[in-house]
Amino acid sequence: MIAALENATKRFGSTVAVSDASFGLDEGEVVALLGPNGAGKTTSLALLLGLRRPDEGRAVVFGADPRRAETRRNIGATPQEMAFPHALRVTEIVDLVRAHYEHPLARDDLLERFGLAELARRQVGGLSGGERRRVAVALAFAGGAPLVVLDEPTASLDTDARRAVWEAIRAHGAAGGSVLLTTHHLDEAEALATRVVVIDDGRTIADAGVPEIKAAAGLTRVRFRAPPDARVDGARRDGDHVRLLVADAGAAVAQLVRDGVPLHDLEVRPATLEEALGALTERL
Amino acid sequence: MRLILTHAAAMTRELVRYPAYLVPTLLFPTAFFVFFVVPSAGRFVTVKMVAFAGFAAIGVAFFQFGVGIANERASPWEAYLRTLPVGVGRRLAARVLSAAVFAVAAAGLLLVVAVATTDASLSIVRWFELGLVLLVGTVPFALLGVALGYWAPARGALPIANLLYLSLAYAGGLWIRPSELPDPVQAVSPFLPTRALADALTATVYANPFAPRPWLLLLGFACGFALLAAWGFRRDEGRRFR
Repeated sequence: MIAALENATKRFGSTVAVSDASFGLDEGEVVALLGPNGAGKTTSLALLLGLRRPDEGRAVVFGADPRRAETRRNIGATPQEMAFPHALRVTEIVDLVRAHYEHPLARDDLLERFGLAELARRQVGGLSGGERRRVAVALAFAGGAPLVVLDEPTASLDTDARRAVWEAIRAHGAAGGSVLLTTHHLDEAEALATRVVVIDDGRTIADAGVPEIKAAAGLTRVRFRAPPDARVDGARRDGDHVRLLVADAGAAVAQLVRDGVPLHDLEVRPATLEEALGALTERL
Repeated sequence: MRLILTHAAAMTRELVRYPAYLVPTLLFPTAFFVFFVVPSAGRFVTVKMVAFAGFAAIGVAFFQFGVGIANERASPWEAYLRTLPVGVGRRLAARVLSAAVFAVAAAGLLLVVAVATTDASLSIVRWFELGLVLLVGTVPFALLGVALGYWAPARGALPIANLLYLSLAYAGGLWIRPSELPDPVQAVSPFLPTRALADALTATVYANPFAPRPWLLLLGFACGFALLAAWGFRRDEGRRFR
């Protein structure tokens, strides 16, 4: 493991943002960190980036505490796009970040790769949201750090820019580097990630390879109100409702009807990523 | 050291490109001097010049540290910089360097204009002495600025800095010689850090023996402000980065 959270817990007042979370990355891995908003993704990243200190457990990057500046030589991260000092030029910001690392990427190559060559002399305040996003992602790679951490790297990017970011992520992984990224898009996780970590309510609820994720992603959710004594194989109780995650909803409902289970308020819809992955964790 | 210079250059560049920062900090003290001192320069013009140079220098300290830090605390860019391999200490050192550049520019401009438009003059040795007093005498105000930066909310920092800056400058005798201040102000004036600075600056004009009182006062204020700054820093760190 080149970076990991080990049983990390982080509280803010009475809120538990991350609860006993454990996951890590190996060399050459691209790991997608998924989960609903407020699940603890941002706090998990903050722990790994050394911005926050876990209350319990620890965050480790290359065997050391990321709260130490030297440890962070191994990490490249993205700022939030609206965060840039507006008066600085793209080249000045890129050079400022490069100056912190021992083996930074060549500035012109980096700008070229993220389609920023023509914007190089522009002040960041004058760039569009998508252009700033590209600068933000480029900064994560600028230092040539082995671990790249990307918080929603392709949000608000057009197709070309998204492709450039995907290529950079793949190339980094292929060259033995590691990437930890958050995303709301399952297709992005599928396209890029060698492994997916799902976090919900501050806990890691799944940690699996992409094939398992793909298998789980084809599920449909069947939900209905059922009397407390109704017995349905493979179902989970949810108050007075029962829910099932199945591959073939038609066959499942037909079976329920044959079994004489009363189906009130029947609801059938594709499982969300979180549900699919939740079902997956129970099987693992 | 290289990183400190890199950060200082970035901070300085950014501020130079904001006329809203550059014009008030660099030009206002000189403009005040030209409007209010030059027409009635009189025989104390050199004393008034050195006091105004102090006014220019501590203005940079108040705004660059106070307002700069308060704004940065609210900015996600600073949170990003914390993910880079650089410690908080170097960023502070860079801020000191950058502030020094602006303080030298603000005070330098004032001194050049004063010498060009009035009879104010100092011997070569006295000029060096003045430079040293300005440099060391500004430190307590930089620390007060840091304290303000960590205690004031981002939106409140600018008005609070202005209020403190202008009232301290006036009551400490940086605009008007202390002996010409109204009686009630004279009563509090000797206990103000700006008055200590004014006295230390005035001493560079006269060939008096070294008077330790203003320096002891400045040292005392520096210690107090440093404690306040350190306390504010720890409180803020605890909120944002624990």
